Amino acid sequence: MATQHSKTAARWMISPAVIMLLAWMIIPLSLTLYFSFLRYNLLMPGTNPFVGFENYEYFFTDPGFQAALINTILLVVGVLIITVVGGIAFAILLDQPIKGQGIVRILVIAPFFVMPTVSALVWKNMFMNPVSGIFGHMAKSIGLAPFDFLSQAPLASIIGIVSWQWLPFATLILLTAMQSLDQEQLEAAEMDGASWWSRFWYIMLPHLSRAITVVILIQTIFLLSIFAEILVTTNGGPGTASTNLTYLIYAQSLLQYDVGLGSAGGVVAIILANIVAIFLMRMIGKNLDA
Amino acid sequence: MGQIILDQVTKSFGDVNVIPPLDLAIEDGEFTVFVGPSGCGKSTLLRLIAGLEDTTSGHIRIDGRDATELPPSKRGLAMVFQSYALYPHMTVRKNIAFPMKMAGVDKAEQKKRIDNAARALNLTDYLDRRPGQLSGGQRQRVAIGRAIVREPAAFLFDEPLSNLDAALRVGMRLEIGELHNRLKTTMIYVTHDQVEAMTMADKIVVLRAGVIEQVGSPLELYKKPRNVFVASFIGSPKMNLIEGATAAEHGATTIGVRPEHISVSPTEGMWKGRIGVAEHLGSDTFFHVHDTGLADMITIRAGGEIDLHHGDTVYLTPTPDKIHRFDQQGLRVA
Ligand SMILES: Nc1ncnc2c1ncn2[C@@H]1O[C@H](COP(=O)(O)OP(=O)(O)OP(=O)(O)O)[C@@H](O)[C@H]1O
Ligand SMILES: [Mg+2]
Repeated sequence: MATQHSKTAARWMISPAVIMLLAWMIIPLSLTLYFSFLRYNLLMPGTNPFVGFENYEYFFTDPGFQAALINTILLVVGVLIITVVGGIAFAILLDQPIKGQGIVRILVIAPFFVMPTVSALVWKNMFMNPVSGIFGHMAKSIGLAPFDFLSQAPLASIIGIVSWQWLPFATLILLTAMQSLDQEQLEAAEMDGASWWSRFWYIMLPHLSRAITVVILIQTIFLLSIFAEILVTTNGGPGTASTNLTYLIYAQSLLQYDVGLGSAGGVVAIILANIVAIFLMRMIGKNLDA
Repeated sequence: MGQIILDQVTKSFGDVNVIPPLDLAIEDGEFTVFVGPSGCGKSTLLRLIAGLEDTTSGHIRIDGRDATELPPSKRGLAMVFQSYALYPHMTVRKNIAFPMKMAGVDKAEQKKRIDNAARALNLTDYLDRRPGQLSGGQRQRVAIGRAIVREPAAFLFDEPLSNLDAALRVGMRLEIGELHNRLKTTMIYVTHDQVEAMTMADKIVVLRAGVIEQVGSPLELYKKPRNVFVASFIGSPKMNLIEGATAAEHGATTIGVRPEHISVSPTEGMWKGRIGVAEHLGSDTFFHVHDTGLADMITIRAGGEIDLHHGDTVYLTPTPDKIHRFDQQGLRVA
């Protein structure tokens, strides 16, 4: 009954929500865009003159920029690899009929419910700390010098922490996909002479491909903006060894009170995120319509 | 070669004993059909032979070799599943090639066998499609193609036609029959449809609750059912079973007469009754006759031209030498 009349009514009805959403996005976005073209430093109050692309120039030539870009990519790719591979392994394990399946599943999901700041603090102080952390104790107990994770391998440590947080998400999605696999297909493959590995490669993995795509897409969006874990553990250091783009923007705008520069960084981050999103959609989004 | 022997095979799921000790010999080249009501263990038996389930005790011998402990892939059997179990992300060609790829058959040979199978099963035009783009009957043929190219010692079918509509089922039934005539490979076919069993089988195995009730050719089972269960399971419409005084006259606890062995007349006969539902099929007419005092309802099969209708009074006469007699245990009295 989509008459002209009811269509107009419907438009009126949804317009508050649409306007609300638009305002929600457009206002901060345009303000950020606007600020990024101003010389706007909170330490130097007064006029905020229009300076064109000066802020962008500063941002791109910042010695930290290149490092931050590389770190962001390493972080995203590293976590994606660990969570997807680990998630597939866990999904296959949890799909087996084992005793106490319910409890095991809840335990595996649990990390997802821990706040990022909390989990980062726990990892920092209780596991990775060379003096009081469990890893330090273990190293000492077998006669090795404790390894100072956060200063020796800061980025790898953060990748580890973030992977720990996102592994449950990947596992959950992949497990549900795993459970929807027709057992008769596996049995048919078994009769066809396929080894476990061939069954994994030719039957399970293609079946999981769509779920893997979903995991990669969703995680990438969140992983591009990892922040809390870095702030709590390494503060982006030592130097810029664990600074990603989000953290670089924070460091510039808030630590140096430079709103203009921070905004420029924000705009760059938005553009980069969109480029990545388009790439991902092009490359693996095809999987989704099949 | 494809001789399969089950020797005292049992199967339990936990405490539930699904197959009590069972012996069965299937000869090379035979078309054997397992029939029985739902839940009687047909699929379980087939899966035991395939190796998809482990036997609880007993031995399975394939071509004289003890296969009880062999994994499915080493038994040289091919199975066609009820759900077809095609690999959805592979083309028809790749589906059919899969078992050969796993066995490391060389590419040229693979192509030859795929082309042969595709021609035999009318799949040549569909080789580059995916299973999702095929009809039910075409999928069924792909599943059969995938089984054929392995050149197995025996084919196992688990209710392969039950997802197809009636017309297609008749067509596929013929195709599978022809396939058997051409390949002469042992085939084991599970169904709960006794028409499929009667039309296709060299040998029918009637199962009830995991127990073999009778083994024999379709006509043996039709002419000499070993007990009441087989008598009422084989044949369509079902055999009429009559108990009480009439049975006692024939010196039995139960007598059975098939619908086609009762003649019907509007004027005279042995038993009097009134026609309830009359099903005119053209070639045949089935009458459900009530108020005979013998059983709730007696089904009879008469010619298509007969002019009797609902409510008519009729007289029935069984053909004397076609009366089956069963004793108190339900076993046939010779
Ligand atoms: N994995 C299992 N665990 C426990 N019981 C099972 C299992 N598989 C089958 N059974 C039981 O074994 C019995 C036989 O099952 P089966 O699947 O062999 O029946 P069927 O003769 O193939 O029936 P249908 O015609 O409905 O397919 C059933 O009572 C079923 O409940
Ligand atoms: Mg079954």
